[in-house]
Amino acid sequence: MIRIDHIGKTYRTPQGEFHALREITLEIARGDIFGIIGRSGAGKSTLLRILNLLERPTQGRVLIEDQDVTAFEGEPLRRLRQRIGFVFQHFNLLNSRTVYDNVRLPLRVAGELSSADEKRRVGEVLDLVGLTDQAQKYPRQLSGGQQQRVGIARALANRPSVLLCDEATSALDPETTQSILRLLTDINRQLGLTIVLITHGMDVIRAIADRVAILDHGHLVETGKVLDVFLNPQHATTRSLLADIGLDAESGVLSNGASGARVVRLTYQGETAELPVLSQLTRECGVDFSILVGSVGHLKGTRYGQLTLEIQPSDNASSNGGASAGSPSDESPSDESRFQRLLASLNRRGLHFEVLR
Amino acid sequence: MDALLNFEYWPEIGTGTVDTLIMTGVALLFTVLIGLPLGVALFLTGPQHRSPQVRLARLQAAVYAVLSFMVNVLRSVPFLILLILLIPTTRWIVGTSLGVQGSIPPLVIGIAPFFARLVETLLREVDHGVFEACRSMGATTRQTIFWALFPEALPGLLSAITVTAIALIGYSAMSGVIGGGGLGDLAVRYGYQRFNTAVMIVTVAILVVLVQLVQMLGDRFVRRLSHR
Repeated sequence: MIRIDHIGKTYRTPQGEFHALREITLEIARGDIFGIIGRSGAGKSTLLRILNLLERPTQGRVLIEDQDVTAFEGEPLRRLRQRIGFVFQHFNLLNSRTVYDNVRLPLRVAGELSSADEKRRVGEVLDLVGLTDQAQKYPRQLSGGQQQRVGIARALANRPSVLLCDEATSALDPETTQSILRLLTDINRQLGLTIVLITHGMDVIRAIADRVAILDHGHLVETGKVLDVFLNPQHATTRSLLADIGLDAESGVLSNGASGARVVRLTYQGETAELPVLSQLTRECGVDFSILVGSVGHLKGTRYGQLTLEIQPSDNASSNGGASAGSPSDESPSDESRFQRLLASLNRRGLHFEVLR
Repeated sequence: MDALLNFEYWPEIGTGTVDTLIMTGVALLFTVLIGLPLGVALFLTGPQHRSPQVRLARLQAAVYAVLSFMVNVLRSVPFLILLILLIPTTRWIVGTSLGVQGSIPPLVIGIAPFFARLVETLLREVDHGVFEACRSMGATTRQTIFWALFPEALPGLLSAITVTAIALIGYSAMSGVIGGGGLGDLAVRYGYQRFNTAVMIVTVAILVVLVQLVQMLGDRFVRRLSHR
């Protein structure tokens, strides 16, 4: 659907060259909700604006539906933009015009419909975003969430194949954010629309994205399916962004646990998540766990879980308090053998695990 | 009361008032017709709207520099002097430099640059996001200006027209000095040259009333069109 091919953007400033983006290569599949996340200044907004050429890349190409659009100018560029919806953080509605006229504007710009058809289309998209009864109001008379719905309706008016969202929920309160994200998910499902959104919040990514790309200082540091990135972050920036929403699996675990105890991180998703794993393991292997960090839930309909487990040493080793127990070399053989049994058991179930200590 | 009713200059004051209204009205019309496009041109070539393409940006900068210089020159010449300087031009345009006709060209040339600057500022103050939204939906510059920027700036534009109309009333009175028509002409001939204070006071009173009326009317329109 969209291919971003070695995109770079360099600004010339009086202080020298500033590289906003370097060598970004990404593929965005049709029908996906693709999230681009990064701290402010990471270049995510520039990248999004390059997709409809509000900004021009200084290197690389943008391909939309296998067509290189990087050099588009004039009429072809305007036609291209009419096929790409854009939703803004601050809505950018005309305050002098009614909701109806705001949504009709892109249709007038495209100039392809009769006024009767324009009227019908405006009605359809207003219905889609749930604002049919607000058509004759002015934007200032609406709440922030309603204004963003108008922004979305306007972006959808020309039946675009892609919707670009520039921090579409960052100016909204948490509750309204959820309703807008639900709306975007519904639109994605109903219309099969590809959505590219940028955000600085992992909670937005978690709520709606299928895939995610993480930008840091103009570099693409990580990309993949949201679940994979969440459960197995590779880059420090990703981990720090996850930490913002309390999903930093490791922090503090390894330094604070009782010494002598083994620590295993267990990751499961899909079918394996349906099994009553923990209680089975306890019974089979005769080990006791405590859960140090855990996260379980649903992401885009897939059940997942990630648990960091501390395997309790057997009673005799921990009788005088875990803290004073000896180093792993002092561990009784029975502890070690039970641990090996546990790992074999995890393997047999096809569960993904890492031994952290 | 009797003195007012028997005031022998009423007929002349009546014609003078009508002349002032005609001068101001016609000059305002031409001011808007010339100043609005000029203001749009200043806005589109101004520092905030430079194209990312270097060659186009240079062209914009050159056009802006020329327009801006012309506007500044016209605005820096005191109107009374501009009136005199423009006498040959006025004759060439309307055939005379006297009376109602002769007043209109210098009024337009004197005030249109002022109005253009007001328009430029108003367009700049329209939220940049609106401009951005139009670009992202593939609008042409013309569509953006007529369908988005003008509607957004409309209350401000009406205020600007009101301010300009009031300035025109003042300037039109000044043209009396070099033989223009209207209330200014009366005030100069009777009040200044013949020491007839009564006529001067009456003309000033009428000017005050005119200005008040224009301002009230302008405010009413602005209020009706604001959706803030």
